[in-house]
Amino acid sequence: MQIIGPDLLVFGVDDVPACHDFLTAYGLEPQGYSPEKGGLYLALDGTGLEIRRRDDPSLPPALKTGSMLRLQVLGVVDQAALEAVAAELGRDRLVLHLADGSLRTQDDQGFELAFRVTTRTPLELEAEKINAPYHPGRPVNVVGVTQDMPAKPRTLSHIVLFTPDIDVAVGFYRDRLGFRITDTLTGAGPFLRPQANADHHTHFFIRTPEYMQGIEHLACHMGGPTELMLAGSRMMENGFESFWGPGRHKFGSNWFWYFKSPLGCNVEFDADMDTHDDDWAPREAPMGPEASQAFLMQWRKKWAPGGGPGPKG
Amino acid sequence: MVTGVPLTTLADLPDGDSRGFEVEGWRAKVIIVRKGARVFGWRDLCPHYAGGTSMAWRRDAYLNGARTHLACHAHGAWFDIETGVCVQGACLGKRLTRVPLRIDEEGGVHLDRAPREDKA
Ligand code: FES
Ligand SMILES: [Fe+2]
Repeated sequence: MQIIGPDLLVFGVDDVPACHDFLTAYGLEPQGYSPEKGGLYLALDGTGLEIRRRDDPSLPPALKTGSMLRLQVLGVVDQAALEAVAAELGRDRLVLHLADGSLRTQDDQGFELAFRVTTRTPLELEAEKINAPYHPGRPVNVVGVTQDMPAKPRTLSHIVLFTPDIDVAVGFYRDRLGFRITDTLTGAGPFLRPQANADHHTHFFIRTPEYMQGIEHLACHMGGPTELMLAGSRMMENGFESFWGPGRHKFGSNWFWYFKSPLGCNVEFDADMDTHDDDWAPREAPMGPEASQAFLMQWRKKWAPGGGPGPKG
Repeated sequence: MVTGVPLTTLADLPDGDSRGFEVEGWRAKVIIVRKGARVFGWRDLCPHYAGGTSMAWRRDAYLNGARTHLACHAHGAWFDIETGVCVQGACLGKRLTRVPLRIDEEGGVHLDRAPREDKA
């Protein structure tokens, strides 16, 4: 099944202007925004978020738990891939063919899903380059960081869902849609990648009681750890609040920095995630602080040691 | 006991709004929500995870979008402003830790007892 991953995540929120402030500070490009109706918030490749009011009649029904996530739109490589999804899911559920060419259905736990031929545009941007002894990554005279360098989310990376039944989730995403399990945090759940995407994960499931079903976080890929650190620091300097990070995960190796948001979930910057193919042997580790990260740090205001007596605190 | 410098004053707290205040020696802020002439004080510690984590998405932004509840903006749990009980989301049935407050004659809002040194 030639699925690439999330193209668009749709939310129904209580405070549209707050989400606008948050997502523009996070670095997504607003499109068609109005405080009454919401808008689109796009990463550089055109993937992103759609923000609407909770009572917007165009939205699919909400989960009973209060989660503001209303729809995941998954991108597939081409029309044939879309038809393969329709044929597979049409065997046991209603799959609507919408006028815009997309498919609309539900997974086995009531999360609303759409599929479309991806609308993302591949980027001609280089990855962050680092210099190491004997192996310079950057040409001479090219500096690694400037205070005002761009640090914008490049693409929607992954979504993490609180889900009451991991077996049901795996039964759908792996067995029906052909996702591969890359690794598992025992006690939480599996990381999955779709077949047309080498990223370590586009989906991760965490087992929770039913009253928590919903979205735990979403993440966008940055161009590298420096961009991630800069983007996160800019958020902190502007009064936004960190939830977890910066740090680097073990499974997936991605750098992370999570921020709380008015979308009812955390919103993460990530960078430098591992990629895999079907030769990969999935790992397993018990969920906990040790397995979750290689290291974890906490932001502080800029400070410098001078020549004189050290500052207090 | 009403002593020392108030954390804030009623005049500085817009009705129906929330603010967070640092207290020396405490690792988490105190959230104050004003409702008319009443104020409600809570530790800025969401009970979803052991030990608690802070709840605002932006400085002082502790209320949900409809401004009916305190909210943890990590996963969207909602808490009753007056009782601190979680009514929706990840901490259902758990509650926030109350911080007793007292208002003096000038409208100054004080911690009702001297803060204990925070252990965590
Ligand atoms: S940490 Fe507060 S709702 Fe999860
Ligand atoms: Fe993540």
